[in-house]
Amino acid sequence: MKLKEFIKKPTFLVGCFAVLNVAMYLLIQKFWIGGSSFLPMVGKLGKPGAPNAFLFAFLVNMGVILGAFLGATVSKEFRLRAPRLKSIPKAVLGGILIGMGVTVCPGTCTTAFVTGMPMLSVSSFLSAAGIFIGGYITYKLTMGRCSR
Amino acid sequence: MNLSEKFPLLCAIGILFGVGFGFFVQRAGLCFAHGLGEIFIGRGKRILRLFLVIFILTSIGFLLSGYIYEWLGLDSTKVGLKPIGQIRGYGFYNVLSGILFGAGILLNGGCILGTLRQIGEGNLLFLVVFVSFIPGMAVVVYGLNPWLEGRKADVIQNALLPGLAGVQAAYVTGVLVVLGWIWFYFVRRKTNGSLKG
Repeated sequence: MKLKEFIKKPTFLVGCFAVLNVAMYLLIQKFWIGGSSFLPMVGKLGKPGAPNAFLFAFLVNMGVILGAFLGATVSKEFRLRAPRLKSIPKAVLGGILIGMGVTVCPGTCTTAFVTGMPMLSVSSFLSAAGIFIGGYITYKLTMGRCSR
Repeated sequence: MNLSEKFPLLCAIGILFGVGFGFFVQRAGLCFAHGLGEIFIGRGKRILRLFLVIFILTSIGFLLSGYIYEWLGLDSTKVGLKPIGQIRGYGFYNVLSGILFGAGILLNGGCILGTLRQIGEGNLLFLVVFVSFIPGMAVVVYGLNPWLEGRKADVIQNALLPGLAGVQAAYVTGVLVVLGWIWFYFVRRKTNGSLKG
């Protein structure tokens, strides 16, 4: 396989994501976290002892949006798409549920898959099981008619 | 240099890492919500493959990071394997959190990474999703959390598999990485076979 093809493969690209996550941990003792990083949006900047932890994670995730924008621009995939009205209620309900889920137990959403399970955190394995249960129930209720 | 004392610099480095994460996630098209949906309709090999790559590399990296710091003669306690989601220990809250999150991502078709990626790609529906996090988080932070405050007596902190199993992290990581690698091999072989090239 040619190098040019290899570096475009999703497995290589998520490998880069993983290496970057470890590199961040090694260099600045932080790793990528998902849901709880948005707590600054409701006025929570961090826990006692780490008062700006959530703020830092929030800024990292603003970088993620910027990086995705760069990726989409480079690959000419960027396109402003206005939401369809009928998709909005589902998006709002989904967003609220995500907001609740990530706050009930911070660090146990997407973080469970990319950081928690590799760290052998028991809570992340339990969260992953919960995600499958919640996802499956929703899938059955909506008959798999997801918006994507 | 302790970067925690230089917060603006720490944030600048963090944003740069974030840009890298976003770039790779966008190019890979990674979204666990989409992947979960694929699993339920019996086409979950792609997301499984991607997850296994992340799991194998990150597990090895996190395990080695402690040794690397020791090798460099630095304070390894600062990079000890920090447990995630330890706010309320492990147990019911993790599963509840997962159920709510799983339901949410299946409804709108985007996990956290997927939502951020879609916003970056210009899909404004995910901006709606993103803003909708706020009322959900507010309900828990200002409604549920104060109520739960006095009910956390049975919390178990720092719950890591090696601690529960009573063995060193290297053994647990080693076994899981080998199993993950074997799984990845079979998933990849099956995918290649079904796609035929």
